Amino acid sequence: MTPRRETAKAQDGVLTEMPMRFGEDPLLWAAWLYYEDGMTQGDIAKKMGLSRASVNAYLADARTRGLVNIEIEPDRFRAVSIAVALKERFDLQDCLVIPSEGGERSLTERLGAAGAQALRRVMRPGDTLAVTWGRTVLAVADALSHPGLDDLRVVQATGSTTARIPWTPETCASRIAQALHASWVPISAPAIVSDPALRRDLLNQPLLAEQVAVLAEANRILMGVSSMRPESTIHTSGFLDSADHHRDYPDAVASIVGRLVSARGAAVTGPVNDRTIGIDLEALRRIPQRIAVAGGIDKIAAILAVLRGRFANVLVTDAATARGILKADGWQESPRRPALASATPGSAQIRSHAKKLFNAPQDAVDESLAGALTAHGAIIGPVPETSRAVMALDGPREGKVGIVIGGGSGHEPGFWGYVGKGCADAAVIGNIFAAPPPGPILAASRAVNRGAGLLYIYGNFSGDVMNFDMAAEMAGAEGVEVRSVVTTDDIASSPPDARGSRRGVAGNVFVFKIAGAAADMGASLSECEAITRRAAARVYTMGLALEPARLPDTRQPSFELGPEDMELGVGVHGEPGMVRHKLVPADDAADMLLDRILQEMNPARGDKVAVLVNSLGGTPAMELYILTRRIGQRLRAKGIILHRTLVGPYYTSLDMEGVSLTLLHLDDELVTYLDHPCQSAALTITARP
Amino acid sequence: MRPLAAADLTDLFRLMAARIDAERLALGALDGAIGDADHGNSMAEGFSALAHACAEAESRGVATGDLFAIAAHAFLGAVGATTGPLYASAFLQAGQRFAGQVTIDPVDLTEILGDFSEAIAQRGKASPGDKTMLDVWTPAARAVAEARSKGSGAIARLDAAVAAAIEGREATRAMVAAAGRAARLGPRTLGHVDPGAASAAIIIVALRDGMTAFFARGSK
Repeated sequence: MTPRRETAKAQDGVLTEMPMRFGEDPLLWAAWLYYEDGMTQGDIAKKMGLSRASVNAYLADARTRGLVNIEIEPDRFRAVSIAVALKERFDLQDCLVIPSEGGERSLTERLGAAGAQALRRVMRPGDTLAVTWGRTVLAVADALSHPGLDDLRVVQATGSTTARIPWTPETCASRIAQALHASWVPISAPAIVSDPALRRDLLNQPLLAEQVAVLAEANRILMGVSSMRPESTIHTSGFLDSADHHRDYPDAVASIVGRLVSARGAAVTGPVNDRTIGIDLEALRRIPQRIAVAGGIDKIAAILAVLRGRFANVLVTDAATARGILKADGWQESPRRPALASATPGSAQIRSHAKKLFNAPQDAVDESLAGALTAHGAIIGPVPETSRAVMALDGPREGKVGIVIGGGSGHEPGFWGYVGKGCADAAVIGNIFAAPPPGPILAASRAVNRGAGLLYIYGNFSGDVMNFDMAAEMAGAEGVEVRSVVTTDDIASSPPDARGSRRGVAGNVFVFKIAGAAADMGASLSECEAITRRAAARVYTMGLALEPARLPDTRQPSFELGPEDMELGVGVHGEPGMVRHKLVPADDAADMLLDRILQEMNPARGDKVAVLVNSLGGTPAMELYILTRRIGQRLRAKGIILHRTLVGPYYTSLDMEGVSLTLLHLDDELVTYLDHPCQSAALTITARP
Repeated sequence: MRPLAAADLTDLFRLMAARIDAERLALGALDGAIGDADHGNSMAEGFSALAHACAEAESRGVATGDLFAIAAHAFLGAVGATTGPLYASAFLQAGQRFAGQVTIDPVDLTEILGDFSEAIAQRGKASPGDKTMLDVWTPAARAVAEARSKGSGAIARLDAAVAAAIEGREATRAMVAAAGRAARLGPRTLGHVDPGAASAAIIIVALRDGMTAFFARGSK
């Protein structure tokens, strides 16, 4: 935990600059200079004005306190450099940056504690503190305890709001007043009144006039920052009930003190402005010290706007938010070690312009599809009226549901590899990593429709959803009944509670197989849809990339990955993944993928699974089998039965080096469909002995 | 001032196609940072197909106002992807405004920004602030409407749209993607310009430049 080293600086009454949160901690400074900046102990002693022996003692102390633990706790040190960067860039009096994660408490609670700490440091006898409202402000109140100072006043910065939220202006201000043992001055009026004349009349009431006069005397203000997202405080508190922010305040990205601010930091005025009772932005800027306590990724744009407008001059936030604010404002983090800095830029050049067997890159998709038809002409044939779809020769038949699959190309043998008897009836492909247009989807639909309806199956990408939806509407207009199943197996792409927004990737292979079997065995459209949905709900994929894919026309990597890095949760389109990680050995990589999947799948001993160890294009069989070996060991140890194992390039991403692991959590019915014989270019299953 | 004929509208589309093509790699690189790097290609292929189809239709004597629907189908057929349905919807909605018109008044043409903004919002189901092309189309459309209410002419309206578009494009740097493919990356999208916003700004600048050239030709 944070070494608490309150500096014994005399309270000088007038606040100039409060000490940087970690800036006066010599122990931390010394560790920083030594471990991060690579300075010698002698240099550090000179720089800090200490003896070499004390530097040595500090470093030893830092190690024993766990401050330095082979690696230095990165967030804490980042906090220092980030706080400095924010302070300089936005001309802040001070900036306190806490680590973004730690312990059980929520970010709001932790920011509240940091805000309380900042407030305790700055409050002086005789101060008048204005207070706004919101979750974070209330969290400050919760964390605040103070012995009390003479003649403190806390005043509400705005009128009151509806009581449907726990963090109303009156609650926040009164709680802060209580914690500071200060006298509390409410603003005895609603924050928003129905018309400007009423506001004038109210402000002429002696009681309110007196309270507002106190507000005008505030020398500090404590405030939260609200974004304009639908779930933000400015909306939930009913502040803008009478206004539509997109219509009335289209430029607003942030809200403070119930007033709105644009991305440039300008005040945004609208219909509620002259109906608001409370401090306005101009008066706010006249308050000498304006402390904003706010954090969270969703608030970055809002906090940046507030800083650009100079509406706050002290910021309490967390490291991730602080980095986000700086990054959004165009700040470049300086490389932490010179050795890394020289290694990174050159490496991208070395790997660019891969050698490729292409004719004209723009012909690659059509030519490879033509090759597939050449190689697998016994299984698939062309679809009339389009060059971008194939159909099963021995697939569609009267009374059988037609299975139409598809997506962008670049995933070969996806999608044409899964067309054939007992599998999909047609596959439609788009340009590289781009959804096919509705035209070829409709052409394929017409070609395989035999009167029993069609089932579209594709991965969850906005382009695929829009194009397949348009095609389904067009097919529907021609009297063909179409149902759609959108696959969402990529567990890295969204948390479990947002499964619906996950991508659909290699798990498609199992889902296509199950759907094809159901149709082949004579299931109705509704039955096909139901079993396909069940398969889609029970399939989990997680990927990792060692090198990004390189696109045919540029032959350049689609994103950059450092020489010692791998990317976890990588997308099949060469999208960057969710987390960058140091390269690890094969068994550790297998464990990382498997553990995440098992955590969600939660299988019982004796459960059956189907496993796909999939190459993303550039990883050879040797590595795939090394991973397969480890996955087998782990599953056996858990008492889980590997019913079927697929290993190879089943669903690729051009030449991306990397793998994905897919597990299908089987049940008896899924076993039947999975074992049903099929013959397609990429997957052939014969009856089990 | 003479109105726009089919050849003039085709010229505008050609200019858009050329500008997008010139930025193909840059758009791909922007997309590579937060998406799948195909945006430059999709847009370039779509606009190229659209310009060809319109040139071909114009030579067949198709009315100016009907070129939008032709553009829509050409774009969608060539691209698919995410941009296909979005821009196809945009061109279709703009086409409804001018359907059957033999010529188009230049001032009326500026109204397509509003059409684009509405159609894209409806098809893509994104909101302003989600870090998408809408963060350019919406403020640009609004700028045109504001300039119109002040009685500004076509070029002044488009100048306002360009200023708003560029500002909108830059504002996407501070946004965390909430829609489309980049949404999965969340905070990692910070600091990056959204590729869809960047290409939208190119189209709007091309429209303004093309119209400026049109007026310059007309006054000779």
